[in-house]
Amino acid sequence: MLIETKNSKFESLVRAYSAELYRYAYWLCRDRFVAEDLVQETFTRAWQGWDGLRDVKAAKGWLYTIVRNEHARLFERKRIEIDDAQELDEIVDTAGGAAYERFEMRDALEALPKPYREPLLLQVLGGFSCAEIATMMNISAGAVMTRLTRARLALRKVSGAATGRRMNAR
Amino acid sequence: MNCFEFRRMMLAEPRSRTAEQERHLAQCTACAALAREMEGLDARIHDAIHVPVPEGLAERVLLRQKIRAPAVRAWAVAASLVAALGTGIYFYRASDGERVLTAAVLGVKHPAVAAIAHVLDEEPQMLMENRGVDRVMMRAAFTRRGLRMPANGTTVRYFDKCPMTGGAGEHVVLQTPFGQVTVILVPDQRFASRVVVSDRGKTAVASPARTGSYILIADSLASVRRAEQLLR
Repeated sequence: MLIETKNSKFESLVRAYSAELYRYAYWLCRDRFVAEDLVQETFTRAWQGWDGLRDVKAAKGWLYTIVRNEHARLFERKRIEIDDAQELDEIVDTAGGAAYERFEMRDALEALPKPYREPLLLQVLGGFSCAEIATMMNISAGAVMTRLTRARLALRKVSGAATGRRMNAR
Repeated sequence: MNCFEFRRMMLAEPRSRTAEQERHLAQCTACAALAREMEGLDARIHDAIHVPVPEGLAERVLLRQKIRAPAVRAWAVAASLVAALGTGIYFYRASDGERVLTAAVLGVKHPAVAAIAHVLDEEPQMLMENRGVDRVMMRAAFTRRGLRMPANGTTVRYFDKCPMTGGAGEHVVLQTPFGQVTVILVPDQRFASRVVVSDRGKTAVASPARTGSYILIADSLASVRRAEQLLR
């Protein structure tokens, strides 16, 4: 019975979070195959460490942290080769009217320094507060706020430039 | 709240808005314009970040989990095992000659290797729970093992009982001038000898104490040693 409960809770977690964890993993490694491996490995570790999870409500932050640690572990072993040309077609729906903006924004996100991009991903994808991100990244909440501010200021410039270019082209 | 404070909050956390921010927003047209701009910017960031997810991902994760043999909680098992230490083939020597073993040689069930996994995979969630520290219990736990309480300049970020085979041990997270250090106090079992292991970017020292044993985990061998000096 205990096992069944654990199984069903685990399944609920997988169904609830695998998609957003995949997106987080993708933006960490920018390789869709590695991202899926990271998600698989994350849930394997989550299953193994299940007994240490005291509150299922806190599972989301725990899972994000495992993805982050697994990614760091992977990068210690090897540097992932990224084929930008291949990935670009696969992740952006070029048929949509907002495709151009997504291209621009995606490039801008990729150009952000990692220390700025990472808290932004955790906030926008995961919905975590500055305090929660601070704990996950082991930095102060003030440092998280500074990084988020700088990230948005950088993206704001790019976004403004893109809009300006489109206006001039009309 | 003034415009500077409002903008600082808006750029850092645009989605959460306090009553004070709402009041400022109603009075300041420039900040209201910034708020609208930031909402638009965040919508575009959100749109760009949401890459398509491969079909059937959740099913593949669940299938892999079913295929794998039932996992045993590594840490609980590890704490009951005191492996024969120092038999490794793969190791490197620190500058002073101390032998640092790799996880491959000790195996994932070794207490020190399992403790590193415990710290990396479970500790962040424990820290988020943000429990108060019972200093009396903590002092008693350290004294039982013949260890000193952390000195001035060190903050205790976490202290709580940690279930492990053979009884309840203690899990302590210290913020020291040389980085974050985790102390795991193992009840009853005395490790046969001191062992140092490096795995997943962390270094752990597992050592017998006056009663039971302790494991220290930090980012580097130097930090682990300094923590050990602090406590012994």
